[in-house]
Amino acid sequence: MALSLIFSIFDNFADFKAIAFSSTITSLSGIILHFLTRKTNYNAGKKEGFIIVTIGWIVISMFGALPYILSGTVSSFTDAFFETMSGFTTTGSTILSDIEASSKALLFWRATTQWIGGMGIIVLTIAIIPFLGIGGMQLFAAEVSGVTYDKISPRISRTARQLWIVYLILTATLIILLLAGGMSFFDAICHAFSTVATGGFSTKNTSIAYFESAYIHYVVIIFMFLGGMNFTLIYFAIKGKFSSVYKNEEFKTYVIIIFAFTVFMALVLHIFKDHHPEKAFRNSLFQVVSISTGSGFITDDYEQWTPFAKIIILILMFAGGCAGSTTGGIKAIRHLLMFKNTFTEFRRLLHPRAVILVQYNGNGVESNIISRVLAFVFIYISIFITGTIIMLIYGLDFESALGSTAATLGTVGPGLGVTGPGGDYSSLPESAKWILSFFMLVGRLELFTVLILFTKSFWKT
Amino acid sequence: MPDLKLILNLLGKLVLFTGIALLVTILIAIIYNEDIVPDLLISAGLCFVFFILTYFFTKKKDLNPGKKEAFAIVALSWIFISAFGAIPFVITGYIPSYTDAFFETISGFTTTGATIITDIEALPYSLLFWRSLTHWIGGMGIIVLTIAIIPFLGVGGMQLFAAEVPGVSKNKISPRIKHTAQRLWLVYLILTIAEVILLLFGGMNLFDAVCHSFATMATGGFSTKNASIAFYQSPFIEYVIVLFMFLAGVNFSLNYFAIRGKFNVLFKDDEFKTYLKTVVLCTLTLTGFLLFIHHYHPEKAFRDSIFQVVSIITTTGFVTTNYETWGLFGIMFIFVLLFAGGSSGSTGGSIKIVRHLLLLKNTVLEFKHLIHPRAIIPVRYNNQVVSKDTISNVLAFFFLYILIFIFSSMLMITFGSDLETSMGATAATLGNVGPGIGHVGPVENYAHFNIASKWLLSFLMLIGRLELFTVLILFTRAFWKK
Repeated sequence: MALSLIFSIFDNFADFKAIAFSSTITSLSGIILHFLTRKTNYNAGKKEGFIIVTIGWIVISMFGALPYILSGTVSSFTDAFFETMSGFTTTGSTILSDIEASSKALLFWRATTQWIGGMGIIVLTIAIIPFLGIGGMQLFAAEVSGVTYDKISPRISRTARQLWIVYLILTATLIILLLAGGMSFFDAICHAFSTVATGGFSTKNTSIAYFESAYIHYVVIIFMFLGGMNFTLIYFAIKGKFSSVYKNEEFKTYVIIIFAFTVFMALVLHIFKDHHPEKAFRNSLFQVVSISTGSGFITDDYEQWTPFAKIIILILMFAGGCAGSTTGGIKAIRHLLMFKNTFTEFRRLLHPRAVILVQYNGNGVESNIISRVLAFVFIYISIFITGTIIMLIYGLDFESALGSTAATLGTVGPGLGVTGPGGDYSSLPESAKWILSFFMLVGRLELFTVLILFTKSFWKT
Repeated sequence: MPDLKLILNLLGKLVLFTGIALLVTILIAIIYNEDIVPDLLISAGLCFVFFILTYFFTKKKDLNPGKKEAFAIVALSWIFISAFGAIPFVITGYIPSYTDAFFETISGFTTTGATIITDIEALPYSLLFWRSLTHWIGGMGIIVLTIAIIPFLGVGGMQLFAAEVPGVSKNKISPRIKHTAQRLWLVYLILTIAEVILLLFGGMNLFDAVCHSFATMATGGFSTKNASIAFYQSPFIEYVIVLFMFLAGVNFSLNYFAIRGKFNVLFKDDEFKTYLKTVVLCTLTLTGFLLFIHHYHPEKAFRDSIFQVVSIITTTGFVTTNYETWGLFGIMFIFVLLFAGGSSGSTGGSIKIVRHLLLLKNTVLEFKHLIHPRAIIPVRYNNQVVSKDTISNVLAFFFLYILIFIFSSMLMITFGSDLETSMGATAATLGNVGPGIGHVGPVENYAHFNIASKWLLSFLMLIGRLELFTVLILFTRAFWKK
């Protein structure tokens, strides 16, 4: 937060006091808590792990909401909390109708919440989630050195540090490339922060569409794409081991999904909407990558596309990037395993006595993991349906209800209807905002982490 | 390669059966003194010709279908009987387009109840009877299918639920299966007759009572009136139909036990309990909604709720009110129910209660696993451990169902329908319900779709009815390999 102060100075000290004050409060609370709980040793058990992760995101969002309120930019705590939660969960849904009216310091703080959120997710997926064994993710993290299933070993901090360096390098590269494209230094930093975190907060009302530069669009596409890759793979790629990238089945699926949808969408836009071929391709690619990685940047209002294109966008909200990336959603690996399991089922029908395992990266996958993946998808869909019904009760129209639930649960950002690219979330009722904030949290933390706190067996001794 | 001659032989026999059923329809035409008797005779004649041709062509075959043949026969039988069953509609000129006639007939045989006829009351009695009869025959087919053939093929985890039925062994269709099927058909017959009597008692005429009973017990949904059950404006008739729709959504082996007085078997069954709870819970929610938001009269709110809930959950598709006027919440509620389905071993379609139950149990267990990762906690159903294979089976089914739903909705949109109608029509045909949401709601029908949409929806009815895998496996490479 203190960093935001620097930008405040450049911006004629706008909101200087507010941020300074919030920063002080936050630091003070941190110090007080530190002293209060001083003597416990740091050996978090499993149950504590679940609580820490969930409460962690809630608490930082509560404190992170302070600058918005104290600066007077956002008047209600609900809105401020929604905005901050959207930042830390790298969702990118906003309640600000006029983003450009905010001070630079605040905009920087918005982008920073996403960047911090992204860093948090990397530790989470690489270290904590496999340790907790959620939704079959242990499988995908297994190739990361330093992860043992029973406890977080000291080597994990080294892995995390390596991945953070990757994260940092990507961010720095993106800043330089965006500067080269003619963006201002401030915009370049903010956009780099929210791109690599697959967040989606922009400093402009019209998002990336504001910069009418094909170069910037393509640069952002590439980095959104990288943000949706498993960071371990990027680490290998940086070290020159490209073969491990191409051999990875999840990566291949990820590329195929994006490629197929882009081509399809480009054709739809070109044929039905008479877009210029390059523009049709660029807009399709941008929106497909942005939605499937859960970034939520936009260069073209897809609400204006055909109804068919809108359905594709809605479906893409469920895609997600790779495991071990900063993206939300169901994720490519889970889709892949479900597909494989379904097709294996056909072979099992014909050969009922044969033991046919689902294969992933050349290894057989246990049925336990498959059942976990499927449980995850089942809960995901159940929450989506329940959420949509709740939003309908609040009086939203069908499209907006579907869109806002899918977009927050998948940490995408913009939804459909009133919450689409042309609109924002400010018009929703208070309680609906709290529910959507909850969806962002649940979706971000792989469902189980949060929902397990509501089970009876969790609280039994 | 499956044995094509054998398949053809059995298909010929099924078509012969269709022809015989048509003769019954001719009887109705004679009774009501209708002038379409010759047309119907030609239709029946075509069935016999087909049978004779296949019979001589495939004469000396012994009848021992293997697994692959069984898959092909099941999928093709519904197509063939629909193809021949559609002929009367076309020849008599009441449904001039063959696409429409095929849609109507497969909707009948798959017990869906989606219709393309706008003015149902304009049809002659014989054709109305034929529509209802397709439902009833379809329902009988489904009972054999779920009791005998599906467990034998091992589709979608259904072997588990049929296991308690005597006479089913998992490796081959044993002779005892015949007894089981006969017993269940007897249950089906008794329930149908009981309903006919009760409906007569409620003031319906014999013809309507028989037709509606056929459609109810098969969880079909074809009515002889344009306004469906709403035509009668009689609470008694509505409650009777609710009761029988509910019974048709119960596993027929449980109904068999119930008729023999063994009610404890019924109430010990996990699926039945879930089915009952789902119906009660949904009815109460909807009643509350209609009472407080739409200010219905309490009795009417309850009656409309329970009728629509039972009708949609069991995938019957009768209606007594236009739920499209219930606002977005009401419509969404109905839409979600399109995916429920009745019990396994009933004539209901869709995903079915037992699969929902197992999915739910598996998900809850996953939470326990998270806290106790080393503990082995299996999913239990009716006090028995469910194997991981069965769970994976059920999950694959669920995933495939959703996938087909999404993919077909998109196709419907490309064929030119709006979002709501596409989703509604897809869910309603895939789940064999009948009326959906959007432009296929209770007061509208499927007539306005273009030809491509109608064939797609017919296909969805077929795969939905035959538990997806049975049909789709024909499209895999492994099936056609030696």
